[in-house]
Amino acid sequence: MTTPTRAAMKGRGVAKRSEAVKREERTGWTFMVPFCLLFLIVFVVPIIWAIYQSFFQQVATGGGAYGGGTLENKFVGLANFQYVITSKAFWSGIGRVFIYTVIQVPLMIILALALAMLMDSFIVKHVSGFRLLYFLPYAIPGVVASIIWVFLYNQQISPIVKFCELFGLHPDFFANNVVIGSMANITTWTFTGYNMLIFLAALQAIPHDLYEAARIDGANGWQIAMKIKLPNVRGAALLAMLLSIVGTIQLFNEPQVMQTADPGISDSFTPMMMALNTSRGSLTPKGDGPASAIAIVMALIAGVLAATYALVERKVNES
Amino acid sequence: MVSYTKRLFAGVAAIAALGMGLVGCGSSSGDSSASSNADASKDSGEVVKITYMHRLPDNEGMTTVDSIVDQWNKDHPNIQVTATKFNGNASDMIKKLETDVKSGNAPDLAQVGYAELPEVYTKGMLEDVTQYAEQYKDHFAEGPYNLMQVGGKYYGLPQDTGPLVYFYNKKAFDELGLAVPGTQEELIAAAKKAAAAGKYIMSFQADEAGNMLTGLAGASSNWYTVKDDAWVVDTDTDGSKAVAKVYQELLDSKAVATNPRWDPSFDASLQKEELVGTIGAAWEAPLLMQSIGDSGKGNWAVAQVGDWFDNDGKTGPDGGSGVAVLKGCEHGKEAMEFLDWFNTQTDALISQGLVVATSDTDVKTPDSWKEYYGGQDIMAEFVKANDNMGDFTYIPGFSAVATAMTEAASKAASGKGTVADIFAAAQTTSIDTLKDYGLSIAQ
Repeated sequence: MTTPTRAAMKGRGVAKRSEAVKREERTGWTFMVPFCLLFLIVFVVPIIWAIYQSFFQQVATGGGAYGGGTLENKFVGLANFQYVITSKAFWSGIGRVFIYTVIQVPLMIILALALAMLMDSFIVKHVSGFRLLYFLPYAIPGVVASIIWVFLYNQQISPIVKFCELFGLHPDFFANNVVIGSMANITTWTFTGYNMLIFLAALQAIPHDLYEAARIDGANGWQIAMKIKLPNVRGAALLAMLLSIVGTIQLFNEPQVMQTADPGISDSFTPMMMALNTSRGSLTPKGDGPASAIAIVMALIAGVLAATYALVERKVNES
Repeated sequence: MVSYTKRLFAGVAAIAALGMGLVGCGSSSGDSSASSNADASKDSGEVVKITYMHRLPDNEGMTTVDSIVDQWNKDHPNIQVTATKFNGNASDMIKKLETDVKSGNAPDLAQVGYAELPEVYTKGMLEDVTQYAEQYKDHFAEGPYNLMQVGGKYYGLPQDTGPLVYFYNKKAFDELGLAVPGTQEELIAAAKKAAAAGKYIMSFQADEAGNMLTGLAGASSNWYTVKDDAWVVDTDTDGSKAVAKVYQELLDSKAVATNPRWDPSFDASLQKEELVGTIGAAWEAPLLMQSIGDSGKGNWAVAQVGDWFDNDGKTGPDGGSGVAVLKGCEHGKEAMEFLDWFNTQTDALISQGLVVATSDTDVKTPDSWKEYYGGQDIMAEFVKANDNMGDFTYIPGFSAVATAMTEAASKAASGKGTVADIFAAAQTTSIDTLKDYGLSIAQ
């Protein structure tokens, strides 16, 4: 008696649900269309195009001194990749970016975390005011920030240099070994507030019962910070680190702007700059083929680095 | 049901909004010429539309390009010109034009530097207008006119020239008891004397090395010559050696300013009267006025580059541009007709800070310049330098050579390299870039 009824009801239920599900799916996809379209147009298609281009070089086939006035796309197989991988300029660029990342990212993350902890503690009143203040540099576009700092670094007009001169110091922010530090300073100034917000959000998501329990057990503020807050923001730290590593590998704004003040920053200072200047033709080999190859190799390196970091982080968390 | 319709509507609205956004992008990036070509072909013979992209400053107090073009449009209802200013540097503009030519919506006319023309030609961006150019030949100075040709064919008309001259602060020179040096020995001695008083009468501009040092070296002989349809590259000419020797000595004895030209510190040292003399292109005259500011008004003067680099009294080119007809232009004849008129609007172009390339040598120095440069007729000085300029041929791919030179120059400025390294870098990069373009090199 009961079995067929149940089966019938089940069948009816499935039919009903599937109609609702379909409708919902339709609506869902409608909402997805704008995203998918844009994603396809500005992300997927250019990447495929770049990969396609990276197998070509543009050469004049007309012969003679000026080459007949047209460039032809010549399929060169993996020659562009071979050039990138064997290019000294490319690897010194990667080296600079690597040094930069190793110095800048941990420094900024620690600073951001410290600020967030301070903000989340009971010491600071008027949190929203401070939050805005620290976040403000992030609201300034990277290029503008770099321009401001170029003036602040300038030997002849910088107030910082003038201040240092009071103490008999003569800092040269564009000296060969210092210039990377000067760039790191700009990035840190811009992004510390942003990362602080990530940490602050994570800190404020921690249930306050934990603090109460800890206080009843006799923990002081410092212990709460170290034993409860810090372990609970690990996820946020991973996110901030990943974003920062990916961001610093694409180092571009700072060196590009500082180049006007310091021609010692070459056109291939970072891989990003090298890719741009290769496509413009101010580096040789020139053109979109080699430029795409540089971009692809750099993306692979960034991907490997980010994946390695995520894996290591997970391993550390598990143990 | 209501909610479903609502949701659907919202979705459609979102897509519509997105569509509008995309349309907005599309039209703004392509409006430079695609529409004009289409229009022109539709009613051919009636109104021809020409588009022109330039990089002229259009600053306050100048006769703007738009107002010059308006004048033309008023007088020529059948040839309507639209000018667009490109806000960016030369290499960005070339890159943009390259993409535009490929996608078939490039402007008809575009400003192209003489040093870039061979490169732009090799990249397949130019339209041969030899048949129209011939009749305008007499309107322009011969040297610049010929800089608009590649391999015997003409691709546009010259607009301005950039002969190198010497800018100096006459008042400061008098105070130091110096005169503009005539020979190499005098130059070095004067620079050292000024340096002892904490002043510089020369500047070594690493960021301009590719343009300026090439010009100075090129004053005496060419780096690039074509022999049997193949390039002969020699960047280590006697001229280059002399430039290297002089600047090396000045750098070694710290008798030359090393601020990059486009860094704010260059302007600061001019304002502080630390830097009281520098070689510069003629088109820098109004720029220097801005850099130095009112404090130097009336003190500065222009002189010819002396015989400092075994240049035998000659000077070299630094910059200067023509306007080229780009591939895909359907109205070469009308474009050239406009171009001939535009490039001979002497007074208006001078107000833009150009040393015009016309054959008309009776050019007036604007009053504000005259006032700034102590009453001197500096235009006459520029024309003199122009007539005294050595011929220099650039190779396709010269922009890569300039980059390599800048890099080497900045090492020389900081003492990590020598000035001679700059010319060595030019040699290897010249060969590399020619090979990369697939052009022939004579061994």
